[in-house]
Amino acid sequence: MKRYLYDGTSESLFSAISWILEEEAEPEKVLLTEQGLELFEEGFFIKANTGQAELLFQRLCQRAPDSAYTITLFMLAEKRGMESSLLRYVSLAFAHGDKVNGYLTHPAVRDIVSIAKRAGRELHRMKGLLRFEELQDGAYFAKMEPDHNLIQPLASWFRTRLRAQNWFLYDVKRRTAACWSNGMLQFGTIDKFYIPALSEDEKRVQLLWQTFFRTIALQDRKNPGLQKSNMPMKYWKYLTEMQT
Amino acid sequence: MYIILSVLYILPMNTLEKLQILSSAARYDASCASSGSKRESASAGFGNASQSGICHSWADDGRCISLLKILLSNDCRYDCAYCVNRSSHPVQRASFTAKEVVDLTLGFYRRNYIEGLFLSSAVMQSPDVTMERMVRVVEVLRREEQFGGYIHLKIIPGCSSELVRKAGLYADRVSVNIELPSQVSLQRLAPQKEKAAILEPMALVGREIASNLVERQMSRKAPRFAPAGQSTQMIIGASPENDFQILRLSQGLYKKMNLKRVYYSAYVPVSDDNRLPVLTSPPLLREHRLYQADWLLRFYGFSAEEILSDDLPFLDETFDPKTAWALRHPEFFPVEINRADYATLLRVPGIGVTSARRIIAARRFSAITPEGMKKIGVVMKRAKYFITSTERAFEKVDQNPLRIRQQLLLGEVAVVPPSRQLVLPGLYLS
Ligand code: SF4
Repeated sequence: MKRYLYDGTSESLFSAISWILEEEAEPEKVLLTEQGLELFEEGFFIKANTGQAELLFQRLCQRAPDSAYTITLFMLAEKRGMESSLLRYVSLAFAHGDKVNGYLTHPAVRDIVSIAKRAGRELHRMKGLLRFEELQDGAYFAKMEPDHNLIQPLASWFRTRLRAQNWFLYDVKRRTAACWSNGMLQFGTIDKFYIPALSEDEKRVQLLWQTFFRTIALQDRKNPGLQKSNMPMKYWKYLTEMQT
Repeated sequence: MYIILSVLYILPMNTLEKLQILSSAARYDASCASSGSKRESASAGFGNASQSGICHSWADDGRCISLLKILLSNDCRYDCAYCVNRSSHPVQRASFTAKEVVDLTLGFYRRNYIEGLFLSSAVMQSPDVTMERMVRVVEVLRREEQFGGYIHLKIIPGCSSELVRKAGLYADRVSVNIELPSQVSLQRLAPQKEKAAILEPMALVGREIASNLVERQMSRKAPRFAPAGQSTQMIIGASPENDFQILRLSQGLYKKMNLKRVYYSAYVPVSDDNRLPVLTSPPLLREHRLYQADWLLRFYGFSAEEILSDDLPFLDETFDPKTAWALRHPEFFPVEINRADYATLLRVPGIGVTSARRIIAARRFSAITPEGMKKIGVVMKRAKYFITSTERAFEKVDQNPLRIRQQLLLGEVAVVPPSRQLVLPGLYLS
């Protein structure tokens, strides 16, 4: 099987897909993998071409907007080794339009859609589970360690929701941060991190929330299994109500 | 003198103590839906109410927490037999000030603990006084604080229609509790509440919502009236009505009053009043079955008369209502998944809205085989007894209703009544 290589960045990935779709008569018969994973690898290396990658994505947005969104979610999963599936999925999306997401009997569609779905589920979950703490200067600060790389979509979600306050999001595992301050949204990485001091009121409000959380549960209907399946324990670390 | 003064100073109840009392008094209210509204706040304000409904946490009982659910006051003048807050019941009383509720809501919302506020109340001096104070809270939130989050406001039966209208202009959802499934029961258990006082505001809200939709079609600038619609709640098991009566009532409310949802709340024994049945525990399984039947009414195209009848007035305890219906209607099955339309697929036990949509999406590409059903993620445990794929039965199952019933029963571990922890006397002595 003919093999193509790309350099590991998403620009190069989409450049390669765009190239293959144009040059190959049967794109489902080629392989696409990241360069540098094996010592003696053979294949055509495709250089990143930002313009071409963007063009491909724009065309896809027009032809099959739902699929374009699926791919956006898929990319949040930062999965390696699924480039060939992605290639096939994109080619099917151009052929069938948005209907492609229903083609779950096709292995590539199933792979991409199920990974995208998982990413979407965590994104939805984090919109609820993120917890902000008020800092001394009046800004709000939230830490998280999600499985997927959610900082961009979460930041744009909170940019409308909490637009009247300054806030930071910090992804502890990836060391990336988003900052909304005076109407400007910025992203960056953080190398050194110190824990900022909390506002005087913060502990009082946290205590009120913890109290509410405890009293709202029906004591005779305790159901830790259901609680954990809805809210897996890996998220508890940063949940204010679970810190008692 | 100084000492006495400082004692006096700490005497008033603080917000934390009030929150304890007024959130525990609100917890039997079953509604946690915060979906169905899309509110964008003015650019100076903050917050939005999202369409999909977001859970922010799950309590120890496994229920979703999405709203700050509290009573403004539990200091009730009325004496409804089934209620913890009834005036004859000796509980600690508390009332929030408007500022306390506003501060709690904003403090929680800014930290992303909640989607918004669910405010209800016991009847203080009068229905009007109570409702006026509740409306005041949301008025401050919306007008002064530019709060754009979700608000669900309970309407106090008997308050003026002017206040009902105001409530609908500030809140995303309003609800009037129907409380009990019949007027007879209402008279017996909640003598101070009148059926008319409950149904009138409900009808008023229904009319306002409908005319608001027309206004909004003509001008997008027209203010919204309860954009997430109205709901109601009734208590199950405190009065003698059967499930058929209850489902027919709900069906009527959905059709005639334009309600978005009816919530069922299993009666939690709170008093030994002899007008009430003696229950050892709340009828949770019954509540669960009613919710399932309610789904069939709202999303699956069933009518109350298909689910139950005068000869069969209670929902099956062993099987969910759809499976029970399927077992009574062998002539409807098996359903051929490659040809059946959406409505027919929905009638197959084990096939829900998602699965039905997936089947229809997938068969556009090729006929679905039994393996294909697994691939697209349809759970076959129950469905396999009721379907064929390209005229082939699934795994050669027998389609005799009696056999199916037995087979299903064997696989039925999940629907035994929610179990209760038994505490054996003497276990903790030693
Ligand atoms: S009016 Fe409401 S709070 Fe008061 S006793 Fe009746 S149900 Fe309870």
